[in-house]
Amino acid sequence: MATAVIMPRQGQSVESCIITEWQKQKGDTVQVGDVLFSYETDKSSFDEKSEVAGVLLEILAEAGDDVPCLDTVCIIGEVGEDISALLPKQAESVKEAEPDSAKETVTEAKLEAEIIAPTVSEADGERLRISPRAKNLALRAGADLSKAEATGPMGRIIERDVNKLLDNGATASREALEKWLAGDKSALEAAPEIVETPVAPVAAVPENVSAVAESNVYTDVKLTNIRKVIAKSMHASLSNMAQLTLNSSFDATELLAFRAKVKDSGEALGMANITINDMVLFATAKTLMQHKDCNAHWLDEFIRVFDDVNLGIAVDTERGLMVPTLAAAQKLSLNELSVKAKSLIKETQSGAISPDKLTGGTFTVTNLGSLGIESFTPVINPPQVCILGVDCVTYRLKEDGSTYPAMGLSLTFDHRALDGAPAARFLKDLCKNLEQFGLLLAK
Amino acid sequence: MPKSQYIDPKKVFQPGYIHFEDIPVNQYSKTLDEEKALYSKADMLRIYRDMRIIREFETMLNEIKTKSVYNGVEYNNPGPAHLSLGQEASAVGEAYSLDINDFTFGSHRSHGEILAKGLSSIHKLSDEELYDIMKEFLGGSILKVIEGKEEVKGNIKELAIDFLLYGALAEIFARTTGFNRGLGGSMHAFFIPFGIFPNNAIVGGAAPVALGAAIYKRANKKKGIVVANFGDGACGRGPVLESLNMSAMDQIRQLWGSTDNGNNPGLPILFNVFDNFYGMGGQTMGETMAFGMAARMGAGVNPEQMHSERVNGYDPFAVIDAVTRKKQLLIEGKGPAMLDVVTYRTTGHSPSDSSTYRTPEEIEEWKNMDPIKAYKEKLILGGVATSDEFDAIDEVIIRRMTKVCKLAVDEEASPRMDLDKNPDAIAGIMFSNEKRPTMEEGREPEVLMPKADNPRVKSLAVKSRYAYDADGKPLPKTKIFGLRDGLFEAIIDKFYEDPTLIAYGEDNRDWGGAYAVYRGLTEALPYHRFFNAPISEAAIVGSAVGYAMCGGRVIVELMYADFIGCAGDEIFNQVAKWQAMSAGILKMPIILRVSVGSKYGAQHSQDWTALTAHIPGLKVVFPATPYDAKGLMNEALSGTDPVIFFESQRIYDIGEQFHEGGVPTDYYEVKLGEPDVKREGKDVTILTIGAVLYRALDAAKTLEEKYGISAEVIDARSIVPFNYEKVIESVKKTGKIIIVGDACERGSVMKDMAANIAELAFDYLDAPPVAFGSRNWITPSHELEKSFFPQADGIIDVIHEKIMPIPGYVAKLNVSDVEKIDRSKKGI
Repeated sequence: MATAVIMPRQGQSVESCIITEWQKQKGDTVQVGDVLFSYETDKSSFDEKSEVAGVLLEILAEAGDDVPCLDTVCIIGEVGEDISALLPKQAESVKEAEPDSAKETVTEAKLEAEIIAPTVSEADGERLRISPRAKNLALRAGADLSKAEATGPMGRIIERDVNKLLDNGATASREALEKWLAGDKSALEAAPEIVETPVAPVAAVPENVSAVAESNVYTDVKLTNIRKVIAKSMHASLSNMAQLTLNSSFDATELLAFRAKVKDSGEALGMANITINDMVLFATAKTLMQHKDCNAHWLDEFIRVFDDVNLGIAVDTERGLMVPTLAAAQKLSLNELSVKAKSLIKETQSGAISPDKLTGGTFTVTNLGSLGIESFTPVINPPQVCILGVDCVTYRLKEDGSTYPAMGLSLTFDHRALDGAPAARFLKDLCKNLEQFGLLLAK
Repeated sequence: MPKSQYIDPKKVFQPGYIHFEDIPVNQYSKTLDEEKALYSKADMLRIYRDMRIIREFETMLNEIKTKSVYNGVEYNNPGPAHLSLGQEASAVGEAYSLDINDFTFGSHRSHGEILAKGLSSIHKLSDEELYDIMKEFLGGSILKVIEGKEEVKGNIKELAIDFLLYGALAEIFARTTGFNRGLGGSMHAFFIPFGIFPNNAIVGGAAPVALGAAIYKRANKKKGIVVANFGDGACGRGPVLESLNMSAMDQIRQLWGSTDNGNNPGLPILFNVFDNFYGMGGQTMGETMAFGMAARMGAGVNPEQMHSERVNGYDPFAVIDAVTRKKQLLIEGKGPAMLDVVTYRTTGHSPSDSSTYRTPEEIEEWKNMDPIKAYKEKLILGGVATSDEFDAIDEVIIRRMTKVCKLAVDEEASPRMDLDKNPDAIAGIMFSNEKRPTMEEGREPEVLMPKADNPRVKSLAVKSRYAYDADGKPLPKTKIFGLRDGLFEAIIDKFYEDPTLIAYGEDNRDWGGAYAVYRGLTEALPYHRFFNAPISEAAIVGSAVGYAMCGGRVIVELMYADFIGCAGDEIFNQVAKWQAMSAGILKMPIILRVSVGSKYGAQHSQDWTALTAHIPGLKVVFPATPYDAKGLMNEALSGTDPVIFFESQRIYDIGEQFHEGGVPTDYYEVKLGEPDVKREGKDVTILTIGAVLYRALDAAKTLEEKYGISAEVIDARSIVPFNYEKVIESVKKTGKIIIVGDACERGSVMKDMAANIAELAFDYLDAPPVAFGSRNWITPSHELEKSFFPQADGIIDVIHEKIMPIPGYVAKLNVSDVEKIDRSKKGI
């Protein structure tokens, strides 16, 4: 009996995953536990291991394909087995016919269905008027329709309106466009502008670099999904916000002493290997409880202030920057926090983290101090309003000529959400709490 | 209006009387002894057999229809069966003296006529001829079913009778082994090799068709006569009355010249009324008609009173006598003739008819006089044959009928068309699509002068075949070769190539057609090839159908497209249907020219392309340039399909502005169905039907010059067939299309095209395809026409309002959605 291997659903919000690489080829023998293929969501990547032994009889999606969750990806069984019952009928014939255009048709058909289905905006009597030609062009070239000025009859968006958008560089991803067309108005308003296949810019580049390009060897690196998401998010952050960074430092003598203590005898006490970073996270969570305006989301029309501190921890991974979230961090003891943070970071670095754990942050801490950075301007992860950068320890002179270890903190905040003074007050309190870490622990 | 016929006012005002001759009524009075001298015993028994075969055939149908079983053969036949039980003597009597060169046309109650004519032809044909006919007809597929099953093996005449009965019955039962593959059915059965031409489900529909067959025989000097059968009920129909007159029109015996039948012979046609007193239920004598006896009608038609006569249709000898005499008259060139054959149907109009319109006593009285019974008794009493001999004939007939019935209901031997396995079986015969430059090889066309000597040909030789001079300046209309000249050139060329080609219509000869397309043909052609028809549109178009059925090619003209309604049945049911209803046996090389007017108000300015395009089986074209007019006419005239040729009176004099080098003098064809890009553009497509092309070009010019919008203008040229590929290509480029024509917008070809384009190019469209036609009004006077027909600025208005708003433009027309809904609500 052959087995169909399906694309697992990684988290509730994930509808499809991209296959990044096949580790086995059609006809290969497969053992239980062998990695069949690797895949990634927009936030994480995974390896799919075989749960059965047999021969890989059929592969239904190639590397690079975006496969809906729960769809069959491959079939494992015995050579000569009849697998017709396991083959998705429609997909099979469509695939043979013309994979690319077929896929597009399916998406378009789906899109049509979504548009026909009453959307929220339709119920409001604001049904989008757009010609099929204009819509197709917008989807193909990635025009941000939310910015379109409709010049067709009865307020219909027509081809020339889309061309104008493209001329003005108002672009958007196909994904966001499709969501927007389906009625999700926030898809384009909130989303940063990014074109997945930026036709025009690419075409323009060689002119400027041709002289260099001819004498230079270079490699064009394809953008991974994660890279695209980071690019989109960071660019949106810097272009949409009024952010600025406050730099300060605190005397880390007590902190370092505490760290030394843990290192010496923590293990014996059954405590985790609490790092400086854990202590900063702990202090941040606690301090935020007195500065809730820093623990907030900017949502254009209003500011959402959170009661819990869901602490985003910026993690450097092979695939790029990722930010897992430590939920309700203010409720945790230092030891608990340390344990949870470590496991979260490990999961993230291995790529095995559930996408659900990568969302919902209310405040982010990023640490470049371990890499010797003395001061920097962290970029806010929208819609959060602050991000704290942890710098390295330097030694500063006291008035008496002695030195003390000074650890830098760089707080970027969104001036739209809060002013300089409250942000400075939060940073000042945080510094104080870190300097008097013992007292904080006692609270 | 020939100049040779002088209308003398002194003569026409002289007093006098119109004299009528007596019309004979039941004057046949021969005794059996006299008849014995004319008919052998075998002849007399054959007459009996033929009547009995018809009686048994229809009894069988009646049993099947009412009881679903005949002699143990069970079958359910949902199709029609209009029976003529009681009328057998009239049918057999008529067919007796006809041979295979004589053609019969029938009504929808014609089983008896078909069988009688078939049996008569079988008797007259040799065994070899019969076998060849059966072997060759539809590839021998009917013969294959019945061959080897005849009672007396090797008797070809017996086999041929089986063939006739089976072919007719299988046709009635819609089997592929029927005479027309089951596509004609009961009311449209026919078998041309035996001289049996189509019946017609339209009452009286065959009269003009038969007239056309008679014109074919007369104009092409072919042997034989034509019999148009219809009932007394059909005598009230216009097409029948038109046909009576047109068949007798003076010119035939005064101007058409001589044939083998003498000098200026009349048309060889016999109008034969099977007068059974009822339409369906309407009683002609005493209720619905005024003639009392149908024979009276002949008296009003011509001085010869059509040699009209009323005879006893219950006596086969009386009918034979009358038909034989009429046939002789026709051969002598004294046609047309008319017979009123008194008969009676003892069953209902159809099996569902309960005869509420007549008393049981009346039916009983007629049954008592049953013609077959009476004939048999007369022959027994007269010592011609014994009762046993008649019984023996009956037995054979019943056995034969049972055998034929069994075969015809057998699904394996007589399958129906399988449209699941062969979904295009009917689609494939809607048009014959043949290319036949001449319909009769080897015969010289009759003409009056060499083509080069023709005055119009000469005058055209010096005209400019392009609308502009060498510097691109427009030439005056008098110096250019116009659209009407393109039509003329194609038509005169064909007249010198195809000897069967004839053309007629109102005011064609001398006048040269109301719009001078035919100017010059009068000098070139004898009367019988080119003549003025009476103002009888139904007879004009209906006769073209009969002319084509016989193997001729014909151009008929209706002057104004508005007169299509006068020939409605003939265009929609006759011209359109016969190729497919005959399973492709018949060809219809008919060009029907109709001209779309303007300036002439509500009944003379209508573009009715949609009416003809709606009817399956018609090709429809509407050229707007001299090049296209000539090319499309050439292609239409070389094909074998009916083409409704729309022309516009606005542009008969327009010169060629598109085809480089102008209109070629040589022969060329423009393929039917291919639209043509008349102006290239990239922003919006304008698809035009007919003369509106020039208004669209004006609009395109304004769009370009004033608004920087580049419009592509495509001329549809053809409507059926129509290749959308070129239009779709254009829409892929522009994303926008407006379809313009002079027809009223509702239900128009433009609307149909807009719907098809929306379907075919949806993903490329930047706006809905918009049809822009005339208002759904009457056509007003010329001075108000601008508000009715689409104009150049209206085209821009519609583009601005519906497709692509033009910055700074203000539309004058109200084409808003609200207005559209409101107009639709009001039906305007």
